[in-house]
Amino acid sequence: MGDLFSNLSLGFGVAASLGGLGYCLLGVTLGTLVGVLPGIGTMATLAMLLPITFHVEPNFALIMLAGIYYGAAYGGSTASILLNLPGTATSAVTGLDGYPMAQKGQAGVALFITAIASCVGSLFGVVLLSLFSAPLARVALQFGPQEYFSLMFLGLIAASLVGSGKSVRSLAAVTLGLALGLVGLDLNSGAARFTFGVTEFYDGLPLVAVAIGLFGLPEIIANAGRTVKSSVSSKDISFRSMLPSRDQWRKSGMPMLRGSSIGAFFGALPGTGGVVATFISYAAEKKLSRHPEEFGKGAIEGVAAPEAANNAAVQAAFIPTLSLGIPGDPVMAIMLGVMMVHGILPGPSVITDSPDLFWGLVVSFIIGNIFLLILNLPLIGLWVRILSIPYNLLFPVIVAFVCIGIYSVNYQVMDLFVLLGFGFLGWGMKALNFEVAPLLLGFVLGPMMEENFRRALVVANGEVSTFITRPISGVIMVITFMIIGWFIYQGTRQTMAGRSQKV
Amino acid sequence: MLKSLIDRREDLIAGLVTAGLGAFILVEAVGYRLGTMRSMGPGYFPMLLAVLMCLLGAGLILLSKPEPQNDDSLPPPIADRRGVFLVTAAFLAFALMIERVGLVPSVTVAVFLSALANRNTKLGVAVILAFGTAAVCWFIFSFALGLQIKAFG
Repeated sequence: MGDLFSNLSLGFGVAASLGGLGYCLLGVTLGTLVGVLPGIGTMATLAMLLPITFHVEPNFALIMLAGIYYGAAYGGSTASILLNLPGTATSAVTGLDGYPMAQKGQAGVALFITAIASCVGSLFGVVLLSLFSAPLARVALQFGPQEYFSLMFLGLIAASLVGSGKSVRSLAAVTLGLALGLVGLDLNSGAARFTFGVTEFYDGLPLVAVAIGLFGLPEIIANAGRTVKSSVSSKDISFRSMLPSRDQWRKSGMPMLRGSSIGAFFGALPGTGGVVATFISYAAEKKLSRHPEEFGKGAIEGVAAPEAANNAAVQAAFIPTLSLGIPGDPVMAIMLGVMMVHGILPGPSVITDSPDLFWGLVVSFIIGNIFLLILNLPLIGLWVRILSIPYNLLFPVIVAFVCIGIYSVNYQVMDLFVLLGFGFLGWGMKALNFEVAPLLLGFVLGPMMEENFRRALVVANGEVSTFITRPISGVIMVITFMIIGWFIYQGTRQTMAGRSQKV
Repeated sequence: MLKSLIDRREDLIAGLVTAGLGAFILVEAVGYRLGTMRSMGPGYFPMLLAVLMCLLGAGLILLSKPEPQNDDSLPPPIADRRGVFLVTAAFLAFALMIERVGLVPSVTVAVFLSALANRNTKLGVAVILAFGTAAVCWFIFSFALGLQIKAFG
C-alpha cells in the first residue's frame, strides 16, 4: 500500500507539472471537441496531432493522446443526446434514452447525468488500472513465448467473436490483418516478404497510415457531402435546468456502478471494448428494471449505465496495453506506436523501467477527469454552440491536417499512398459487411504473434503441444477454445432453428 | 438456383474475395523458404494464415444466407460519387505535390479540392478556406513546430 502511495506521488510529480497539466488540458479539450462534433473520429484526430507528439517528451505526448481518447468518450454523448447523432460509436446507446429525454425538455438533466456517470466510470477504471497493472506486469515478466502467443490468440478470438454477430467475417479480417502485419523484412532470415519490390515497405507498412486509412478516410468521405444544421440553442440549457431531481439521482446511482463494472471488464479484455460494454450494460439495466417499458422513451438509467460503462472501458483498456504491451483497440495500437517512436518498448517492463511514464499517466487520468467535469458541466453551452459550425468548412481543414500528419511521421510520400489504399480497403470491407477493427488488431499483433509462435516452437523442439502443456498458456488456450466451442454451438443451433422454421 | 445465388450474393462475394486473397498469399508464401516446425522459415507462418483464410472463405460460401429482403430502414451510408472522387483527388494531389512544390501550395490545392466535395460550398468560400488553411498550416508546422517540410518548392 505504501508502495502505491509513493508511486502515485511520483506520478503526481509528472502529471501536475506545468507541462503535464497543459498537455492534459489540451488533450481533454480536443477530445471533447472531436467527441462533440459528429463526423470526426478519435482516429482522425490522433493523426492530426501526431506531428506535435513527436516534438514533445514521451510522458507528455502520451498524456495528451490519452486525454483525447477519454475526452472523446465524454463529449461523444453530447451530440447523441441533443441531435440523436452520435459523435462517437460508443455513444450511440446513450442516444437511445438521452434523445427522448431531450425531446421532453430534459436535455440538461441528461447531459448532467452523462457527465457524472462518465466521471464515476472513469475513476472506477483508473482505480482498477492502478491496483492491477503492476501485479499483472510482474506475472507477465515470467511469461514465455507460449504465454504471449496464447494471450494474443485469446485476444484476437475474443475480438472477432464477441459482440459482432459476423464471426466468420471478423475472423477473416483478423487473418488478413495478421498477414498484412508481416509485410517487410523477416527479422530472422532477412527475407523480404510481400514487399513487391517497394523499398519503403521493408520496415513494414506504416501503422499510422494504415489505421487512419481504415478508420478515418471512409469517415471523411462518407461525411463530405453532408450538411446538418443544428436546431439546438445553447440558451435552452441553463445550469439550473441541468440539476437532476432527488428521484433521478436515486434512480441512476446503481446503474452507474453496474455500468462501471461491466465496462471495466470488457475494457480490460483485449479485443473487446467500449461499444460492446455499452450495449451489454444497457441490456442489463433493461432486464433489471422494474419498468422496462420506459427504456427507449427517456429512462435515466438508460443514460447513466452505458455512459459509465463506456468510460470505465476506456480507462480499463490501458491495463493490457501498459502491463502486457497488447493493445486492446486501434487507439491503443496508435499509443503503442507513439511509445515505440520515442524508443520505449511496450511490454511488462514499461511499468518498472519507466515508472514516471506509467504513474504519470495514471495520475493524469484523475486530473483529466476533473478537467472534463469542468469542461462538460459549466461550459456545456460552449460545446452546444460548436455543434453549429458548418461541417462543410471543417472537413477540408481536417483533410489538410491528416495529410501533413501522415507525411510527417516518416517524410515518405509512399505513406500517403498507403493511406489512400487502406482507405479504399476499409470502404470495400464496409460495402461487403466486414468490420475493420479486427483487421487493424491483427495487423498490429501480426509480427509479435509470428515471433512468439516461432520462438515457442524452437524452445519446445517443434512440439505444438507446448501451448497446452505449459500451465498458464494451457489455461488461456482452454478458455479460448471454450469461446470458440460456444460460438460453434450457438451457430449450429441458430442454423437448425432457421431450417426447422422453413420446413 | 440462380435466384438463390443472387439472394446470397453478399456472402458469396465476401467468401470469394476472402478465399482469393488467401490463395494469393499462399502462392506468395510458398515462394519463401518454409522450413520445419522446429525452425520455421519466413514462409511458414504466412502459409498457415493463407490456408486459414482459404478455409474461412470457403466457410463464408458454404454458410451463406439469403439477405433479409425488405431491410430498407437503414440505407448504407455510402457517399455520393462527387465526394469520393474529390476527396481522393485532394489526397492524391497532396501526395504528388508535397516533395515537388512544398507545403503551402500542396495544402492550398488539397483543401480547395476537398472543399468542393460538398455541393453547398461556394467556389469563393473554397478559395478563401484554401488560402487561409495554408497560411495557418505554414504558421503551425513550418514556423512554430519547425517540421522538415519546405514551405515552398
